[in-house]
Amino acid sequence: MGATAQLARLLEHPAIWRGASAAHPEGLATGFSALDAYLPGKGWPRTGLIEILVPRFGSGELYLLLPALSALTRARCARWCVWVAPPLMPFAPALAAEGIALDRVAVVSGARPLWALEQALGSGACDAVLAWARRPKAREIRRLQLAAERGRTLGVLFRPRRAAREASAAVLRLALAPTGTGVRITLLKGRTTQRSAIDLALRG
Amino acid sequence: MRPRILQTARPGDAWPVRPAGPAPLHTAARATQAGAPGRELWAGIHLAENDAAGKLEQLGMSAQRFTPRVSLAPPDGLLLEVQGSLHLFAGVAGLRGALLTECLRLEVRPVLAFAPTALAALAMARAGVACEVPEPAQLTGKLARLPLSSLRWPQDTLARLARMGVRTIGAALRLPRAGFARRFGDAQLAMLDVLTGRAPEVRVTFRAPERFRRRRELGCELESHDLVLAALAPLLAELDEFLAARELGVVELECRLIHRHAPLTRCVVRLASPATDVHRLTALLGEHLSALELPEPVRAGELAAVALMPHRPESESLWQPGERGGSSGREGCDLIERLRARLGAGAVHGLTRLPAYRPEKAWAVAEPPSASRHRAMVKGSADPAPARRRPLWLFPAPQRLSVRNGLPRRRGPLRLVSEPERIETGWWDGGEIARDYYTAVDIHGVHLWIFRERAAPHDWFLHGVFG
Repeated sequence: MGATAQLARLLEHPAIWRGASAAHPEGLATGFSALDAYLPGKGWPRTGLIEILVPRFGSGELYLLLPALSALTRARCARWCVWVAPPLMPFAPALAAEGIALDRVAVVSGARPLWALEQALGSGACDAVLAWARRPKAREIRRLQLAAERGRTLGVLFRPRRAAREASAAVLRLALAPTGTGVRITLLKGRTTQRSAIDLALRG
Repeated sequence: MRPRILQTARPGDAWPVRPAGPAPLHTAARATQAGAPGRELWAGIHLAENDAAGKLEQLGMSAQRFTPRVSLAPPDGLLLEVQGSLHLFAGVAGLRGALLTECLRLEVRPVLAFAPTALAALAMARAGVACEVPEPAQLTGKLARLPLSSLRWPQDTLARLARMGVRTIGAALRLPRAGFARRFGDAQLAMLDVLTGRAPEVRVTFRAPERFRRRRELGCELESHDLVLAALAPLLAELDEFLAARELGVVELECRLIHRHAPLTRCVVRLASPATDVHRLTALLGEHLSALELPEPVRAGELAAVALMPHRPESESLWQPGERGGSSGREGCDLIERLRARLGAGAVHGLTRLPAYRPEKAWAVAEPPSASRHRAMVKGSADPAPARRRPLWLFPAPQRLSVRNGLPRRRGPLRLVSEPERIETGWWDGGEIARDYYTAVDIHGVHLWIFRERAAPHDWFLHGVFG
């Protein structure tokens, strides 16, 4: 008992820094309070690669990100928001109506989406990079994750639902399923206390 | 590391770094006033005879990074007014070291002397006296011992003076002025006055040529792209110097590779912002070269700066990009150039919206986001956003939907979940449309934006996905 008290007093010394008390990096508010509470770090990570697995294109995955992207692109010293190999053309009026500053948006198409994605993630010029990659290998995802850390960028990789079976180096993996009014989100990878899926209403 | 700050000094511009000279250098030639409030310190550089040929201009060019007031004294002398630059090089000793390094790089062996007047500095250097005389008061004393020959007067004048026993500058200065002028000429007397700072001197400032085109014969024939790039490295280094001396950035760089028989291969690098950094240029040129197909081995390379722009270095941010609002200026340009070099110029673009109701014409491809740090304020809803919700994704062209029982289908029946929105416009330019748009949900729960033609046969089309 005495030893424990002594130890506790010793640890109160201001020069001692304990890893457990380190403030977790503040996440990027998602714009949905239920999702903020659900995600580790209380929001999207600001750095690193996340994966969003969707049953098919257009399941509501982009609406999930729009509030955060809007906040990012409208920040005072905003960096870019790059879209790599989107399957269709992002419709500028809708993005603007959702609050995204179009002068921070760049679209990259071309033959080598994974290379372009790695360049964009690692360049340090982007706040967020959204990418639609055909079938990235686990090794490539690891490279992308490292590039995102190097460039302090949030990378979002949209992948089909069946990729849930593969291992991934992404810091966060979410699976999405459309419901009548919104989406159901299941956390596949990431530290959280809550394992059950949550439902979000997306379309008013 | 070389001190880069003097890149910003260039005649005719507003100067971040300003020498203590009395007047701004708006003209190429100017008079230096003796006894004017601003003190001057000239560095005189004398090159050995066999070095001087061809190297003088080159040295004059690279010396521009020390001061904008560089003046040539052909055939073997160079003068730099360095008073304003001293503090950047930790005084005369530091500047001497930097100048010597620069000379050694060009493989010349100079004699360097510092004096308050240009002619005195030059005379000391030519006499082989590498001394430093920062104080005008000490100048005459130091000059006294120099031989008269260091002034490069005509031979017969020197010979006549020698017959009188006058062999040093000191002895010449002690002669009576009126008699000296009568016997040896006014020009020589004026030169003595200039030498000691009694009279002002006019020196023409050396201005380097403003075009860059250099060629390098390779000596052997190179096939590999990497080797060609390595062989171009000296040209790129020259370009770097050229840009640094003029405070210019290159926005278009042309590289021509010359072959034995085949017509030359041309490679043009366009940059999103004026580039001064030779590493960035080398990396980009490498990307462009690797995309080239060489018909034959390369015998010679030529590098030309097609378009130059004034470049003013900006202050670097204290923060890394992405860290506490650290912005991305340079990184952004680098990214765009790298992507474009590999994927093609059209592969990277920005988006902009246009004030039109036709969905196809409501947006356009734009230049990628400007790299400017001080971007314009984010526009509010200046132009009217459509009152109705728009899909996040648009198909390049509407896709015809199959129809069963008058209702559209796409991998199953579509359920209409919104009131129709009629868009009927464009009659004035031939692109007339008349459509009723609906939001529909397919059997998987994906929200689609579909429309029905108002004209017969009232076909259904898919135009967008809500995301």
